Amino acid sequence: MTKKPLLLLILDILCLVLVAVAAYLALVYAPMEVTMGNVQRVFYFHVANAWVGMLGFIAAGVAGIAYLRTHDVKWDIVEEAAVEISLVFFLIAIVLGSIWARPVWNTWWTWEPRLTTAAITEMIYLAYFMLRGGIEDPGRRARFSAVYTLVGSISVPITFMAIRFFRTIHPVVIGTQSAAAQGGFNMTPHMKVAFFFSLLAFTVVFIDLFWHRIRLGHLSNQVEDLKQKVME
Amino acid sequence: MNITPNTTNYMIAGYAVFFGVIVIYLVSLYSRWSRLQRDMRSLEEMNQDKPK
Repeated sequence: MTKKPLLLLILDILCLVLVAVAAYLALVYAPMEVTMGNVQRVFYFHVANAWVGMLGFIAAGVAGIAYLRTHDVKWDIVEEAAVEISLVFFLIAIVLGSIWARPVWNTWWTWEPRLTTAAITEMIYLAYFMLRGGIEDPGRRARFSAVYTLVGSISVPITFMAIRFFRTIHPVVIGTQSAAAQGGFNMTPHMKVAFFFSLLAFTVVFIDLFWHRIRLGHLSNQVEDLKQKVME
Repeated sequence: MNITPNTTNYMIAGYAVFFGVIVIYLVSLYSRWSRLQRDMRSLEEMNQDKPK
């Protein structure tokens, strides 16, 4: 368990390369957007972080279902890993969005539908760890957490669709945007390359971190089991 | 004529936040892993020393 698999090591190296290439494409290869200036380059990593954040929250919901069906502790480990990593990526997406908004919307934050639903989603999953911390019995903790992530995952499609359902200033880059949107732009072919490569790179980074975090969860469980055995 | 605003500082801040948070998270993963491995080793020693 503690020996790192070769495939994971290869994935680690691949992630470093992919993030470096994604940063190059976003910062150098993609042209500067004329109305926003260089801050538009934040968009590539902002969307990619939000994407993997949502991906992980959905994965946590699926793991929650798997736990409720099987009561196998491995699904609890998978679920906790997915939530933790997604919380980090989603927080980055929110902060990057706020940094982008300052020069473009002239404010760091506004309570429009996308930002509000994203903030609620982040808080829902922050509360997940408070819930886990408040329950001592592992079986009960895993059961409650599974139900919580299942219900919590409803917030993901709501957040994703918020800019498509409501009148909002948040731009929609792919699809039809609200007439009130500010800061939207049409992607040039070079921008599209940077955008889709960032999505791919961050998906691989997510898989890599997910694997690391699952291994950490398994090791933590092994330590707990051994602790019980020693104390008997 | 459009004048492109100078928003480079915001771009730098954005990427600094990204790399900063990722590095903090990686350090957190590594330190938790190291601590658990240390705990595992000492518990294994205690388990071996335990009278049968």
